[in-house]
Amino acid sequence: MHASPTPVLSTRNLALHFDEGRTRALDGVDLDIQEGEFVAITGPSGCGKSSLLNLVGTLDNPTSGELFFRGQSYSEFRELSLFRRENIGFVFQSFNLIPTLTALDNVIVPTIGRSGTANGHQEQARALLQQMGLQDRLSHFPAQMSGGERQRVSIARALINNPTVILADEPTGSLDSANAAHVLDVLVRMRQERALTIVMVTHDAGVSARADRVIRMRDGKIEPDDRRAAA
Amino acid sequence: MNLLQFALSNLYRRPARTLLTISAIALGIAAVVALTSISWGFEASWQKANDARGTDLIITRLASENTMPSPFAAEKIQQQLTQYPHVKQVAGLLSEMLTIGADTPPMFVFGWEHGSYLWEHLKLLEGRWPSDRAEPAVALGMLAAELLHKKPGDQVEIEGQMFLVVGLFQSPALVENGAVLMTLDQAQRVTDKPGKVNVLNIELDDAATEADIQQIRSQVNTGLRGFTAITSGELVSQNAVVRISKAMSHATILIASLVGALVVFNTMLMSISERTREIGVLLALGWQRRTVIKLVVSESVLLTLAGGCIGIVLGLGITWGLEHLELMRGKIDAVFSVPFLGATLGLSVLLGICGSLYPAFKAARLLPSHALRQE
Repeated sequence: MHASPTPVLSTRNLALHFDEGRTRALDGVDLDIQEGEFVAITGPSGCGKSSLLNLVGTLDNPTSGELFFRGQSYSEFRELSLFRRENIGFVFQSFNLIPTLTALDNVIVPTIGRSGTANGHQEQARALLQQMGLQDRLSHFPAQMSGGERQRVSIARALINNPTVILADEPTGSLDSANAAHVLDVLVRMRQERALTIVMVTHDAGVSARADRVIRMRDGKIEPDDRRAAA
Repeated sequence: MNLLQFALSNLYRRPARTLLTISAIALGIAAVVALTSISWGFEASWQKANDARGTDLIITRLASENTMPSPFAAEKIQQQLTQYPHVKQVAGLLSEMLTIGADTPPMFVFGWEHGSYLWEHLKLLEGRWPSDRAEPAVALGMLAAELLHKKPGDQVEIEGQMFLVVGLFQSPALVENGAVLMTLDQAQRVTDKPGKVNVLNIELDDAATEADIQQIRSQVNTGLRGFTAITSGELVSQNAVVRISKAMSHATILIASLVGALVVFNTMLMSISERTREIGVLLALGWQRRTVIKLVVSESVLLTLAGGCIGIVLGLGITWGLEHLELMRGKIDAVFSVPFLGATLGLSVLLGICGSLYPAFKAARLLPSHALRQE
C-alpha cells in the first residue's frame, strides 16, 4: 500500500435518504481511502454498501455531505461522466456485458466517444484481454463464456480507460469458488501492475481477508471500530 | 467498433421490430414518392403539351378551374382577338374525357380547329389528318391506338357515333399520345356543344415582345368581361386535377411524416425502455450523456435511412407499375428528379431525428444507479 497525504477518495458526513428521510441508506459516512489501497466493504444486506459505492462512483447523487477525489470536491467537476470515464472503473456482480457484442467489443464500448483511433482502442482491448488470459475468447459472445470468463471481460472493460480507482460490487458473488479466486487473483495482479485503488463490496470473508483494510457497515453507517481506521 | 457499428448491432438485436419499423417508414416514403412524382408528372405532361403546341396565350373563363375550363361560345371573342396587335392566329380547342368502346378506359378526345397551328407539332406516323372540318374522322395518338387496338382504316364509336380512323400520330406529350384527335367541328357535334370551346389558343407573331404579351393580357382582362388571358403554365397550375393531385401529394407528405415520426418515436421509446439497465451500464462506464443521445439518434436515423432507401425504390416501382397498368396507361407520366429523391431521403433522416429526440434525451437523463436497478 502506498500511503499518501491526500486520500484518493474521501467522504464527509455523506448521507443518502429515500422516502423523505424515512429510509436512510447512508447516514453521515466519513471515509478516507488512500492511493493504491485495497479496501473491502462488508456488512449485512441493505446496510448501505452498494449505496456508498454508487455515490463514490458518481452513479447517484447524495442527499447531503461531500465527496472528494484527491482533495477536490466532486461538485467542482464540470462533467461527472467525464470524471467517471477518466478515473473510475466499475465491476458489477452480474457482469453487465452487452449480450450481442463479442468480448473484444464489450471491452471497447467504454472508449466510444473518447479521443483516439478505433485501431488504438482495439489493440488496447486485445492486450487487456490477453492479460486476463482470454486471448482465445476475443470473438466469443458473453453467452458462450463461463461466469469467470465474463467477469474477467468485465474487469478488462473497467480497465480500458486506465482508471485510478476500481469500484467492484460483489465481483465474485455470482461465481463458484475456483472462478472467484481466479477473478480475485486477476484484480490483485492488476492492482499491483497498475497501482490501482480498489474498493470492493463483498460478503465473502475470503475476499475480505486479501484486502488491506476491511470496513464494516450497519444501518447506513460505518461501524465504530472501523470508523477510526477509516477516517 | 465505433458508435455507428454499435448502433447497428443494437438494431440487429431486435430484427422483427427493426424490420417492421423500416417497413412502416418505407411504405410512407413510397407513398410520398409515388404520389408526388405522379402529381408533378401530370402537371408536366399538360405543360409539355401546351408548350409543344406553340401557344403564347390562352383565353379562358375567368374563374374556370375545372379539369378542362368551362366551354363558352367562341365566335365573337375569336373575332375580337384577331384584331389585337401581334396576334397571328386564334385557334379554338374543345376536349372531353370520353369512353371509346366497351373494353377500354376513358380517354381524352381533343377537338382542334381544322388547319390551325395546333396540329403542326404532331408527327404523322401513318395515314393522314382529317381532310376537312366536316369529315367524321379521327387521328389516334400512338398510345391510344395501342390501347384501342385500332389502326388507320378502322372505325371507332364515340358517344354512339362512328368515326373513321384516318391517321396515327406521335406527340412529345404523353397526354396527347394517349388521346383521340378530331376537328373542332366534329368534337362540338359529338359532345353536343355547337360553337363552343374550352379555351382559345393565341399564337403571336415573332415580333411580339413580353411587353406586347402583357398588353394583350390587360386588353383581354378589361375588354372581354368574364374572360382572362393566361399562359399555358398558369392554365395548368390552376387546373383542378393538378391542384387536387398536388394537395393529395402534400397531404400524403404530411401524414407520412407524422406517422413516420410516431413509429420511430414508439420504436425508440420501447427500445430504450427495454435497455434502461444497459444505458445505466454505459453511463457507469463513463459514457457522456451526449454520447447516449448520439447512440439513440444514430439508431433511429439508421432505421429511417434504410426505410427511406427502400421506400424510394418501392415508390419508383409502384409508379412504374401504375404507368404500365392497362387502366392508367397514357394518363401517368411520372416525373422524378435527383433533388426530389434526395429531399425524400432527407425527409426520412429528419423523421429519424425528430422521432428519436425525446427518447434520446430521456435515456441520457437517466440516473445511472436507478437505471442499473432495472431488470
